[in-house]
Parts: sequence; structure tokens; C-alpha cells
Amino acid sequence: MNLVRAELERLAARRFVQLMVVLLAAAFAVTVVTTLAGSHRPSPAELSRAQAQAAENVRQMEMTYDRCLRIREGSLPPGENDYLPRDCAQIDPAQIEELPSAADYLSGVFVFAKEAEPLLYFLIAFLTLFGFLVGASYIGADLNSGGVVNLLLWRPRRPAVLAAKLGTLLGGLLGLSVLASAAYLGAFWLIGQASGLVGRTGGDFWPSLGAIWVRGLMLVLLAAALGFAVATLGRHTSAALGTVAAYVVVWELGARLVFQMLEVGRPDRFMLSSYLAAWLSGEVRLWDNNACGPGISGYCDGSYTLTWTSGLVVLLGLTGALVAAAFTVFRRRDLI
Amino acid sequence: MSAVIEIAGLRKTFHTLRHGRRVAVDGFDMLVEAGQVHGFLGPNGSGKTTTLRALLGLVRPDAGRMRVLGADSPEHLPDVAGRVGAIVESPQFFANFTAHRTLRLLALAGGVPTARVDEVLEQVGLRDRGDERVKGYSLGMKQRLAVASALLKNPELLILDEPANGLDPAGIREMRDLTRSLAEAGVTVLLSSHILAEIQLICDHVTIVSRGRRVAYGPVEEVLAGFDQHQWRVRVADPEQAGQVLGRAGLSVAVAPDHLVVTGVEDPETISRTLGEQGVWVRELVPLRPDLESVFLELTGGHEHVAVPRQVDGAPPSDGVIDLDVRESREVDA
Ligand SMILES: Nc1ncnc2c1ncn2[C@@H]1O[C@H](COP(=O)(O)OP(=O)(O)OP(=O)(O)O)[C@@H](O)[C@H]1O
Ligand SMILES: [Mg+2]
Repeated sequence: MNLVRAELERLAARRFVQLMVVLLAAAFAVTVVTTLAGSHRPSPAELSRAQAQAAENVRQMEMTYDRCLRIREGSLPPGENDYLPRDCAQIDPAQIEELPSAADYLSGVFVFAKEAEPLLYFLIAFLTLFGFLVGASYIGADLNSGGVVNLLLWRPRRPAVLAAKLGTLLGGLLGLSVLASAAYLGAFWLIGQASGLVGRTGGDFWPSLGAIWVRGLMLVLLAAALGFAVATLGRHTSAALGTVAAYVVVWELGARLVFQMLEVGRPDRFMLSSYLAAWLSGEVRLWDNNACGPGISGYCDGSYTLTWTSGLVVLLGLTGALVAAAFTVFRRRDLI
Repeated sequence: MSAVIEIAGLRKTFHTLRHGRRVAVDGFDMLVEAGQVHGFLGPNGSGKTTTLRALLGLVRPDAGRMRVLGADSPEHLPDVAGRVGAIVESPQFFANFTAHRTLRLLALAGGVPTARVDEVLEQVGLRDRGDERVKGYSLGMKQRLAVASALLKNPELLILDEPANGLDPAGIREMRDLTRSLAEAGVTVLLSSHILAEIQLICDHVTIVSRGRRVAYGPVEEVLAGFDQHQWRVRVADPEQAGQVLGRAGLSVAVAPDHLVVTGVEDPETISRTLGEQGVWVRELVPLRPDLESVFLELTGGHEHVAVPRQVDGAPPSDGVIDLDVRESREVDA
């Protein structure tokens, strides 16, 4: 327990961690200020105009739908400019996910419900990068500065020391991420309340935002554990950075080109970025360029999907394997 | 006397890509008993640091048995780690932390009351500068901080690998006084150093290592006595003549321009009597005892190094006498 306390203090005292927290706070402040500056609370007149516009739009959609139905019935001849879907249900306003609302017709007004998702993605991206860099530099610098050796003279149990470090890192990061995202979304929600609109936050809104949030936090932790493991294996912070850079250049870019030249089917299957996207957004739809070759006639759907489960399995498997390797190597290694 | 450190048959080979195998410790044995101030001597690269690292569980030995305070190392090291304070080869500290924070974190991790931090900073003379970043410390200050970290636990056994590295003369003396007072308080100290005069002053026992093997060990006096050639320096008016007198009497003599060195005589009376009977009067008769340095160089094959600085000084490289000259001047220093 004391070990964890000491590690937490060590972590919080790191310049790099402090710098990143300051950066996060600065980015946060800048977005809040610019959002505040660019948003105002709509006047009743603006609001009613927007509502009227939205209502008008919905009415038009209903009319088009109605017209479609009647043309299909044959009770109305199609006009010259009519573009009609095969199945009128596709344009049934009752089945459309999101009908136009007043929020769409207000300019210069921040609408929380519309902006929350991209804002959250931005925060997750920042925290993921932060987690990776902190995870790598925390152990990397400690291995290099002799901090680990000093600590081992006090606590000669290597697995316990490394686990305390990793645990503290993940725990601290989780705490920071939860706080940061709560503060972040809370602040923007307040901006919506005070000088904009909150928008439609009913129904599916919070559950789906919550799902993105949970997946994002998981990603942040995975990135930190990955950075930690690779830096431990390579005995250096830069080992982690180098590995990521090498992976991106050699595999994501280089191997992708080679796959294309060799016309390997579905190269995206082999790319971590696909699984990353699948995990974050729930699923990704990818195209297989070779599926619809010249030999195939008729309708061909060359797409395939990667689900969040496969994303999770791949990311968790990779990180787990690297962390296990780091512990195994660290247990036996000569520490000079 | 209970054994505090026992090492038997320790062997460690490093494998490097470039140089292949390198045997650092090659069947090394050591025994340090409670209450000793034990000097650990050996030339550069002889395996001292590697031995200490293996003992403290930092490197994995290839063979051998080690016990610290009765616990097998490294398996049971955690049981006794709280009673062993150690610095191994100028430990590095995180440069951006202050000395105070560095020690505080160690104390926290090791379950030592953090109030101890100020005490040890005081002990090593860093109290006034404890709130500065380690980055701005001089070599000697870092070394003091290292010693402070080893003292933090109030250890029963203190292992110091070259603690005097980078210390100024006052610092070396402070370190000596500190070591002595710790020893008086009952702390067992294992000390490696290249400052042999210092070791001779502080330590009661030594282990000398060369190329990864122990070449001498025991109480300092005994180790030195083992190398005592019973030599005497004799000053007379005419060394040449006196040399002939002693030679005729069957003693082994080396003649220098202004004195004689007689070897292998236990009782100085033999010399003065032999000379007196022939009417040669002794002006001065001084025993030439080996010191740790000459024994060390003898044992570790560093003998030839002695002549080199003498030649630079411009002294004539007449063999044998030079070696003795060095010892003699040591005698005078001490
Ligand atoms: N990490 C390592 N990799 C390869 N060889 C090593 C390593 N550490 C030590 N050695 C080798 O082991 C031998 C013993 O080194 P060690 O540091 O134990 O010597 P030492 O007696 O402490 O020397 P010094 O008096 O200079 O401190 C040397 O030949 C050294 O080159
Ligand atoms: Mg050494």
C-alpha cells in the first residue's frame, strides 16, 4: 500500500505528467472560451423562427412521403423532377432516426446534444496519447535513472514492484480520465444550459454517449499499459515511441502498399487501426477490393465488417501479451 | 560471531553481443561477520560491483550460494532487505526530484518513518541543500545523497560500493568518521574502495579479489603479516662497506647510495650486532612493513605499475630498490 502511495506521488511529481495535465487544462480552457464566445442563448424570436423552419421541413418531408405512396399506388402520375426510392418507407419521417429540430436552424448557438460526441472523441484521443506517453516515460525514465534499482534495494520483489508501478499508473490514469471527462462534458453541458441549447438529450443519447465513454476509457488504459510494457521490454521510453513509429511506417503504410500490389484480399484485417476503429465506434465497415472483380456479374457487395468484440479481443490480446512479456523479462533481467 | 554475508562459489558471466562471454566473477568466496568493518578490494573490473549486485538480487548469478543476514539470496532477500542499506556503484537518482523527495519516496516505499529523512540528510551534511534538485548537485553531493539513502533504513548491514568516489578530503574524513561511529553502534559495514590508505585506516578485515576470485582475506593485520618479508632499512656512514660485512655474515642485502635494506631478519639485533662487531656503527634501523597498497599490488599483479610513475619522476629505474623506496616513503607518510 505504501509502495502504491509512493509511486502515486512519484507519478504526480513527474514534470512530464504535470506538463500534459497543464496542456489538457489549456486545451480545455481554449475550447470552452471559444465556444462561449461563439455561442449565445437564442432569443424567443430566433427560437420560434427556427422551430417554424424545422416544422416546415418536417411538413415537406411528410408531403414527399405522401406523394411517394400515392405514386406507387398509381393514384398520382409521377412528375418530371420526382426522384422516388424503390420503397417509400425509406423516406418515412416516422422512421427517420433524427427529425430536423429547431437546433439545426440556429446559427451561432452551441447545442450540447449535437457537439457532445465529437468533444468526447477529442478528449479520448488526447487521453490516449497522454496515457501512452506517460506509461512509457514513467517506467522508461525510472529504469534509466536507476530509480528502479534503488527501489529494488528496498523492495527486492520485482514482480510486486513492477505491478505496483503499472497498477498505480492505470489507477491514476483512470481517476484523471474520469475526472477530466466529467469536468469536460459537465462544462459543455453548462455552456449549453447557460448560453446555448442543451438539445435533445432524451432516449438513446446518454446511453450511447456513455458507451463511447466507457470504450474510450478502456482505450486510454490499454494505451498506457502498452506504452509501459514496450518501454519495460526495451528499457527505454524511446523504445515505446520507436516501436509505434516503426509499426505505423512499416506495417500500416508499407505493408498496406505491398498487400495492395500483391492484391491480397481485405488487407485491413491485418491492421491494428481497423480494430482500433472497430472498438471505438462499435463496428467498422471495410471494403474488399478484390471481392467484386471482373468475373462477378450482377450486384456485388464487397464490404465486410469488424465488430467491437473482435476489436477488443485483438487490442486486449496484444496488450496482455506484451504486458506478460514485460513481467517475464523484468523478473529475470540483470539490472545494471 | 555470526556470519552476516556468506558467499560461496559465486560465478557470473555476462554475455554481450559484441564481446561475447565475459567472466566477471569466477568462483568467488567471501565471509563477513557481524560487527566487522570489512574492506572489499580489487582492481578495476575484478568483479566487486558484480558481486554486490548479485548479493543484492540485481543480477542473476550463474552459480554459487549467497546468504545475507542468514537469509538465502535472492530467494529470501525480501525478508531481510529492510535491515540492509546499500549503495552500488554511484547510484543514480531522478534528476528532477529534490534530495528530500527522493529520500521521502524511498522511505514511503520501504515503510520507514519519513522523519528519518531529515536525520540522514543531516548525517551526510546535505541538510541545507536537501530541497534542491539532484540535477544541480556535484558528484560528491550525489554520493552523499546515495549514502543517505543507504542509511535511511537504520541498517544492521551497510554495503557501500566506493562511497568515497568524488568526495573531497573533508568529505572522505567525514565518511570515515561516519563509518566509525556506525561501526561503534554495532553496524556491520562492507566497504569497497580504491583508496587503500583509507581502507587500512577504517577496516579491520579485508577481502581482496582479482579477476573474479578471492586472493586474500582475513584481519588486516594478518593479511599484512603474511607479506612481511622482515625487511629493515639501515643507515650507516658507508653503505658499500656495511653491505659487504652483512653479506659475509650470510644476510641478504640490497645496497642503495645512502642506505641498506636487509631482508629476512626477524630480530634487528642480528644486524646491529654483526655490524658492531666489525666496527660499523648503525645510525638508524627502521622496520619496513608492507602496507595494504604494496600487498594489493603484489596480489593483483599490478606490481609493474609502481615503477611507471617513479620513472616519470626521473628516478633511476634500478630494480628492486625502487619497490622498497615506495614502501619506505609510505612508512614516512604514515
Ligand atoms: N552489464 C555488463 N555487461 C557486460 N559486462 C559487464 C557488465 N557489468 C560488468 N561487466 C564486466 O564484468 C567485470 C567486472 O565488473 P565489475 O563492475 O564488477 O568490476 P569492479 O570490481 O566493480 O570494478 P571497479 O573497481 O572499476 O568498480 C568487468 O570486466 C566488466 O567489464
Ligand atoms: Mg565497481
